[in-house]
Amino acid sequence: MEQKVEQNVEEVKRLSRKEQKKLDKLYDLQYGVKAKKGVGQYILAACLILYTIIVAMPILLVFISAFADEETLATNGFSYFPAKWSLSGMNAVLRYGKQLATSYAVTILITVGGTLIGLLCMSLFAYAISRRDFRLRGFLAIYAMIPMLFNGGQLSGYIVFTSMYGMKDSLWLLMLPICCTTMNIIILRTYIQNSVPEELMDSARIDGAGEWRTFFQITLPLMKPTLAAVGFMMATTYWNDWQNALLYIQSDSKKPLQLLLVNIQKNIETLLNARNIPSAALAAMQGKVPQYSATMATVVMVIGPIMILYPFFQKYFAKGLTMGSVKG
Amino acid sequence: MTLKENIRHFFHNIWKHRVHVLMALPTFLIMFFFLYVPMAGLVMAFKNFNYNDGIWGSPWKEPILGNFDFLTASKELFVNMTTNTLMYYVIFTLLGTFLNVVLAICIDQLVFKKLGGALQSILIIPIFISYAAVQFIVYAYLDRDTGMINHLFGTSIRWYAEAKYWPVILTIVKMWNSVGYGSVLYMSVLAGVDQQLYEAAQIDGANKWKQIRHITIPSLIPMITVMLLLSVGNIMRSDTGLFYQVTRNSGALNPTTRVIDSYVLNSILHSSNFGFTAAASFFQSIVGLILIIIANFVVRKLEPENALF
Repeated sequence: MEQKVEQNVEEVKRLSRKEQKKLDKLYDLQYGVKAKKGVGQYILAACLILYTIIVAMPILLVFISAFADEETLATNGFSYFPAKWSLSGMNAVLRYGKQLATSYAVTILITVGGTLIGLLCMSLFAYAISRRDFRLRGFLAIYAMIPMLFNGGQLSGYIVFTSMYGMKDSLWLLMLPICCTTMNIIILRTYIQNSVPEELMDSARIDGAGEWRTFFQITLPLMKPTLAAVGFMMATTYWNDWQNALLYIQSDSKKPLQLLLVNIQKNIETLLNARNIPSAALAAMQGKVPQYSATMATVVMVIGPIMILYPFFQKYFAKGLTMGSVKG
Repeated sequence: MTLKENIRHFFHNIWKHRVHVLMALPTFLIMFFFLYVPMAGLVMAFKNFNYNDGIWGSPWKEPILGNFDFLTASKELFVNMTTNTLMYYVIFTLLGTFLNVVLAICIDQLVFKKLGGALQSILIIPIFISYAAVQFIVYAYLDRDTGMINHLFGTSIRWYAEAKYWPVILTIVKMWNSVGYGSVLYMSVLAGVDQQLYEAAQIDGANKWKQIRHITIPSLIPMITVMLLLSVGNIMRSDTGLFYQVTRNSGALNPTTRVIDSYVLNSILHSSNFGFTAAASFFQSIVGLILIIIANFVVRKLEPENALF
C-alpha cells in the first residue's frame, strides 16, 4: 500500500516535471527568451559592451588619478597607467579632516532631512487629492501642476529668500525649495490611485481607523516601492546640489560636500592667477594646495557614497520612473 | 440648486474633509513660499530694485518698461545668450531623444538579458555625478598641460580658451551624463510591448528592421511625445552646472557657452546688473510658459491622448 502511494507520488512528480518543461518551452516561445542567437546578436552585444566601456572610462580615470602620484600627474599628465602610485592625494583629503567631516555631516543632514520631509509632505498631499469626493482635489492638483509650467527663476528666488525671508546661510534653503516637486507628486498620486487598493483603505476606515491611521498604517507601507524610487531620486538631487549651496551658504560649518568641491577649484584658481605672489611662496603653497590627485580624491569622496548605495535602489528605479510618465 | 446652496455644499464638503485639508497643507505652504512667491517676485523686472526696500518696497521703474531697455541696449549680449540657450536646447533634446531611443532599442533587442541589465546599470551611473565633480573629469582630459587629449594627440590646444570647440564638448559631456538614464524610461515602455505582435510579424515574414520600424518605434511614440512636451517648458532654462561648472566659468568661452541661466547665476554672485538680469529672467519665464501652452495646444489637436492638460 505504502509503496503504491510512493509510486503514485513519483509518477505525479514526473508528470508535473514534464508538464513544467512543456510550459517552460511555451513560455520561451511566447516571450522569445530563447530567441536565436545569431551573429547579429553577438555584434550587437560587442557594440554595447564597447559603448559601456567608453562611458565608464571617465569614472575610472577619477579613481586612478586619485591614487596616482602628484608629481607624475603634474609632469606626465593624467593617464590610465600612471607611472607611480601614491596615497598622497587621499592623505591630503584627510588633512582637511574637520572640514571634510563637517561637510559630510551637512550633506547627509540635507539629503536625509530633505528627502524625508519631501516624501512625507508629498505623500500626504497625494493621499488627500486622491480622495474622490474631496471637492478641493481639482484645485489642489492644478495648484501642484502650475510650478511645472511657470516659475520665478533663479534671481527672483534668490532675492525673495535672502532679502524677504532673511534666510541667507540657512540650511533650510538647501532643503525646502526643492522638496516638493510637481513630477514627484504626480508619481505618488498615480501610484496611490493605481496600486493601493481602494477597498483596503475603505475597510480600514469601516473598522474605525481615522484618516491619519489609514494613511500611516495602510497606505504608506503599501507605497514602499514608489517611495524608494522617488526617495532615491530626491536623495541624489540633494546630494549633488551645488548651486543652492553656492548661492546661499557662507559659513564653513554649513558647507556641504559639493561646495567644498567647488571651492577647491576656486582656491587653486586664485592661487595660480595671483601673479603678485612671489614664486617661492607660490611653490611653497602649491605643496599644500590640493592639486590634481587631491582634487580627484575629493571627487571620489563625493561620488563614492552614491555609487555604493545605487545598486540597492536600482530595482525600484525603472519601476518608479515609468509610473511618473503615467499622467494622473 | 441655487448658488447659495452650492456654496453651502462646498463648505460642508471641505469641513467634512478637514483632515485632508490639513494633510495637503504642508505641501501647499512649502510650494506657496518657495515656488509661488518667487513667481510674484518676477515683478521686479518692472522695478528699480534695491536691497534696502526689497522687492515689494522698491520703487517702480520709470518708465515701467525701463529694465527692458537694457535688453535692447545690450542687444548683442542678450541675443547671444538667448541663441545659445535655444541652440543647446535643440541639440540636447533632439540628439538626446534619438540616442535614448537607439540605446533602449539596442538593449531591448539583445537576447542576452542579463548582460543587457548589467550594462544598463553601468550606463546610468554618470547621472549620479554632479557637474561640480564632472568638471574635474573634463579638466583631466582637456587641461592644456596635464590633460589627456593633448598628450594623446601631441597637440597643445588651450581648450579652455577656444570657444569654437565647446558646443561639441558640452554636447558630448551632456550625452555622456544623461543618455543611459534617459533610456531607462523607453526601455520600460518596450518591456511592456506585447510579444505576440513580434511573433505575428515574424510569421508574416517581417525581418528585424521591419519589426523595429513598425512595432518598436510606434510603441515609443507616446512616451517620446510626453517627454518632449515636458521639456518644452524648460526651453529657456539650461543645466546650469554644465555651462557654469564644466566650462570653469571661463570668460573666453562666453561666445558659445553663455546661456541665460549661467549669466543670471554670475550676475547674482557678483551682485551686478540686476535690472538687465531681472528683465532677462522675466523674459525667460514668460517665454517658457507661452511655449509649453502652444506645444500642449498642438499636441491636443493632433493626439489628445498625449496632451499634458
